[in-house]
Amino acid sequence: MTRGIDHAIPVCSVDELQDGEAVRVPREQAGTADDITVFNDNGEYFALNDTCTHASASLAEGWVEDGQVECPLHSGAFCLRTGEALGLPAVTDTVAHRVDVLGRIVFLLPDESQLTDGSGHEPA
Amino acid sequence: MNRPELPRHVAVVGAGLAGVSACEQLRELGYDGRLTLFGAEPHLPYDRPPLSKDLLLGKQTADEIVLRKAEWYAAKDIDLRLGTPVTAIRPDEGRIELVHGTVAVDAILLATGGRPRPLPVPGGDHPAITVLRSLDDAVALKDRLAPGVRLGVIGAGLIGAEVAASATVLGCQATLIDPAPLPLEHVVGAEIADLLHSQHRANGVRVLVGAVASVEDLGGAIRLHLSDSNETVDCDVVVVGVGIVSDDSLAASAGVAVNRGVLVDSAQRSEHPRIFAAGDAARPTGPDGPLPNVEHWESALHEGKAAAAAIIGAPEPVRPVSRFWSDRYGWHLEVVGEFRGEVVLRGELGGESFAAFALVDGKCVGAVAVNRPSEMKAARRLIERGLPVRAGHLADESVDLRSLVTGNRTPAGGPR
Ligand SMILES: Cc1cc2nc3c(=O)[nH]c(=O)nc-3n(C[C@H](O)[C@H](O)[C@H](O)COP(=O)(O)OP(=O)(O)OC[C@H]3O[C@@H](n4cnc5c(N)ncnc54)[C@H](O)[C@@H]3O)c2cc1C
Ligand code: FES
Repeated sequence: MTRGIDHAIPVCSVDELQDGEAVRVPREQAGTADDITVFNDNGEYFALNDTCTHASASLAEGWVEDGQVECPLHSGAFCLRTGEALGLPAVTDTVAHRVDVLGRIVFLLPDESQLTDGSGHEPA
Repeated sequence: MNRPELPRHVAVVGAGLAGVSACEQLRELGYDGRLTLFGAEPHLPYDRPPLSKDLLLGKQTADEIVLRKAEWYAAKDIDLRLGTPVTAIRPDEGRIELVHGTVAVDAILLATGGRPRPLPVPGGDHPAITVLRSLDDAVALKDRLAPGVRLGVIGAGLIGAEVAASATVLGCQATLIDPAPLPLEHVVGAEIADLLHSQHRANGVRVLVGAVASVEDLGGAIRLHLSDSNETVDCDVVVVGVGIVSDDSLAASAGVAVNRGVLVDSAQRSEHPRIFAAGDAARPTGPDGPLPNVEHWESALHEGKAAAAAIIGAPEPVRPVSRFWSDRYGWHLEVVGEFRGEVVLRGELGGESFAAFALVDGKCVGAVAVNRPSEMKAARRLIERGLPVRAGHLADESVDLRSLVTGNRTPAGGPR
């Protein structure tokens, strides 16, 4: 089941998330097990679970470039599009989420597998 | 120098980071021949940095620090032979020897790491005197670090400092002993070295400047006698962290050039066409002879990758600028490049976080930071890309360092 944009979480305006920047959406707001970070890489928006799968760093503090985010702590890298872990020390894939831009607002659509209520989430 | 044909069987000796990294890269580069990874230890290859940090603190378990899960080796068709030390190499014959039997190989990567340097003093082999290199060492040490235990740490370098910090968190009474008044001074400069070292005292560790001259058995406990003073330290457990000895024994017995490490060129090739070396076991040579061996995590990773390329004759990869990190008392220390030249400070030294940059001819050549990982990533790129920078911009906290790297991309002062 895919969820429509009416289930999406408004994150910020496009002006507030410049190229190379990241913004973290707390888990309470996202309704997910982990915080989710939304990234702007060269004008494209992506979202991943925030906690690095290697230890416990926040990917919101990472370096965003060339379709990847590099973890602040030990430089493990993840593909922004798929969440794939790109090599030692990052060996466990993370979860990618959908991001949509409507008007000038960046919306996050958390992956259903990550929702804490475990269901397809009720529309408001 | 290129090999006429691809090796049919590559043997990687040493299942640590350099060895695993080489195997990963060999497959990544398309090598589909036989690949065997020999590990002397019985454990699935694991990561060493957590041994003195989260593993000792009980925040991570042995299972959580494996480099790769067992399935990965199978999926990559890597024959992982744990608990199987290689006892000799015969490069001219294309063979390696195991405790039972020999194996025919075409290329050998020596990734045997290093062994902790023992304490060369009378009584230095007392059972209360331990080292920290392997998972078994760490598990045994963790068992002994109960609250109130008197721990002596000999050597205040990276591992010594981390052990003292972790033991303090565990409630031990730690005494840190080093003949150097400012360990790491040559790496991060006197001011930052002083800040780092003073953390120990501030956290209740007794810090002594001196060398241990002898060890006295007190029946259960031990007494360390320092030279040049009448100082003694009574301990229940001692950890010696006075550096490592590169394990170049296999190469040395095969007559391949070693000098405190297997001597290799910039592509990790030894003087023998069938032998390569990477990680703590390898020592790079430059035009003027052997260079210092870099014994850090990232260099093992990248040397492993470079060796993989050399083994199959692929182009030499570009090496990132050197980097290491260390964690103590909530401080995440990072060092990239070389800390020399003009020093520019960003933030307040001794504050919760700060960074310092080293400039030579208007370019960043090195940086040191505490709890500023993003800025270190910027510094690393400034160094690698040889970008000109102004000291004023580096010092100005309102300038987003990313903008110095990406130039036109990000204006300063945007939200992070
Ligand atoms: C406690 C600790 C904390 C550290 N913390 C940090 C840190 O915070 N940051 C950082 O940058 N670096 C850190 N390091 C350094 C980093 O872990 C090492 O540089 C890195 O592990 C070197 O990798 P290696 O593969 O060369 O050697 P090793 O990891 O030592 O692996 C070599 C392996 O080869 C095996 N072997 C040896 N001889 C044979 C043989 N004949 N046959 C088969 N197998 C053999 C050994 O048993 C060993 O498992 C730390 C090291 C330690 C010990
Ligand atoms: S915590 Fe991200 S790479 Fe280690």
